[in-house]
Amino acid sequence: MSIAKLENVHKVYHIGKIDFPALRGIAFSIDEGEFLSIAGPSGSGKTTVLNLLGCLDKPSRGKIFLEDKDVTALPTSKLADVRRKNIGFVFQTFNLIPVLTAMENVEFPLILGGLHDSKERHRLTEEILTEVGLKDFFHRRPNEMSGGQQQRVAVARALVKRPKLVLADEPTANLDSVTGEEILELMLGLNQKTSTTFVFSTHDKMVMDFARRIIRLRDGKIESDQKVNTK
Amino acid sequence: MKMLLKLAFRNVFRYRRRTVITFSAISYGLGLMAVGICLYNGVNTHAMDSIINTQTAHLKILAPGYFEEKDEVPLEFTIDEPQRIKSLLKENKDIKGIESRILFQASIISGMEELPCLGVAIEPEVDPLVFDIKDSIKDGRFLEPSEPKIILGSTLARDLGLEVGDDCVLRMFLSTEDFIWNALDLEITGIAHTENPTVNRQTVFIPLSLAQEALSLDNRVTELAVRIEDRNRLSDVRESIQSRLATLGTDYEVVSFKEYASDFVELMKMRSRVQVLIPLMMILIATLGIVNTMLMAVLERTREIGMLAAMGMRKMEVMLVFVFEGAIIGLFGSLAACAIGGLGGWYLEAKGFSLSFLGEEITDMLSFLPMEVFRGDLTAGTLLFTLVLGIVVSILASLYPAYKAVKLDPIQALRHVG
Repeated sequence: MSIAKLENVHKVYHIGKIDFPALRGIAFSIDEGEFLSIAGPSGSGKTTVLNLLGCLDKPSRGKIFLEDKDVTALPTSKLADVRRKNIGFVFQTFNLIPVLTAMENVEFPLILGGLHDSKERHRLTEEILTEVGLKDFFHRRPNEMSGGQQQRVAVARALVKRPKLVLADEPTANLDSVTGEEILELMLGLNQKTSTTFVFSTHDKMVMDFARRIIRLRDGKIESDQKVNTK
Repeated sequence: MKMLLKLAFRNVFRYRRRTVITFSAISYGLGLMAVGICLYNGVNTHAMDSIINTQTAHLKILAPGYFEEKDEVPLEFTIDEPQRIKSLLKENKDIKGIESRILFQASIISGMEELPCLGVAIEPEVDPLVFDIKDSIKDGRFLEPSEPKIILGSTLARDLGLEVGDDCVLRMFLSTEDFIWNALDLEITGIAHTENPTVNRQTVFIPLSLAQEALSLDNRVTELAVRIEDRNRLSDVRESIQSRLATLGTDYEVVSFKEYASDFVELMKMRSRVQVLIPLMMILIATLGIVNTMLMAVLERTREIGMLAAMGMRKMEVMLVFVFEGAIIGLFGSLAACAIGGLGGWYLEAKGFSLSFLGEEITDMLSFLPMEVFRGDLTAGTLLFTLVLGIVVSILASLYPAYKAVKLDPIQALRHVG
């Protein structure tokens, strides 16, 4: 079943008086449970694709479907609702809320999603934090954790609400290679266990090696789209 | 909502130094404002009390024409039958006391020195019911009826170097235009130091019968001063007196202290307009503090705001986080402001604030003010006003930064380096 679909998507950024085409007619579809990497050099349009999939941005032309629902024309407030319910984000710089503990950071999307039962919230939060290997770090604040641990919290935060789609923009770029690999293994493990769809952007060969499918972009166009069977 | 509050609360303590600076701006600004309001209210009430207790009483019954000329203290507009009016009003339960008085232009001569003054002829047995002069005698004693003695205001006595027991000459003008006067040789029986510097500086008191004889007024007086039991019933009592007087077929006027001291009332009104500026300035300081703090917070937390938006937080919720932050700083700042205002106000109410540290010369220059010690009047209303104002101002001041936060494009915000 298709979880997301892009149809002839164009995106033009207006920088001053210059129009900068970031995407020039992209079309692909993502199936449920995929572990997909958007690869390409910087400026190729990776982040733009993730922003569009994440309903953070709208295409200049073309259509975007999430679970067969056209989200292209939705107003900003509705897009926020879509993000709240269906999409988890993992950022390159972790972006945890510094004043909240690991538990509270992970619990946050559940509160936003309207889960009022605090016992249930705590159960889900503890479960996912344990799963990402942070059983002993529930009450640590971000500045009391390493980069790898923070990114684990971020992964837990993206997954706790059981989203349809997790988008990770260069999730290992700020980590050393060993920690980066651990995070990817964690994401892959969760992908296999929960069938959550992961889409991540990268230009790192090591990261691509983890992907089950790689879409390569160049100058805003798809250069190649191939399924791989590696690790 | 609980989560938003928690987030806001923790963010307040995230940038401690900045929070403390903003907190201080609000607490000092609004605290001083509260003290200012206490002082203003106190001065307003006490100054009016001081004028009533030493100069105007609550009401004055005057002969027609007197009021227009009152600054000249003329002797030609007199009440001819004061006793008759007194007995007519005797039944009125609202009246605490009525005193027959004569005000006249005079001067005090001591040796080679002569100083102009206001002569007040009083009924020593009735005066304590209407005025506070008896209680303000600091040296000597109060007058007895008909005795040839005089009481001097304390500043006047000091300027002439006179003390209790000294003799002086009171020159009483029957007509200043024609320079007709009479003089009495009197012994000083007391020095009055009232709360009203004007009275201390320029007033002398003698028994009524003495003045009536010296000024050839027979039984006539220039005014009847009335003190009433309840100041809130002022206009009712005034009307009832007026209608009783009408039965005598006279057209005597009944004038309230507000009209008598209209110059001072006007002065207070003008001051209250100036006084509005002080809270406004304090509010401005607090507002700038909050706006500055919150704008810095928005700038520093741009990426965090982008992330919150990416997670699907609604604009209103992002706004609320910042507004709550402002409100929390405002709440604590205002509570501290109430403490400052409460302590300051309490001190001003209990001890007052005297200008005497400025030295005799300056206090003499300021003696047009109807009081020497400025006392505050601390009310719960003032503190409540300070508290509510602080919180409301903080919330309003946070709105603009909060609006700036939600106007951020999540993508740009996430890319922000800082």
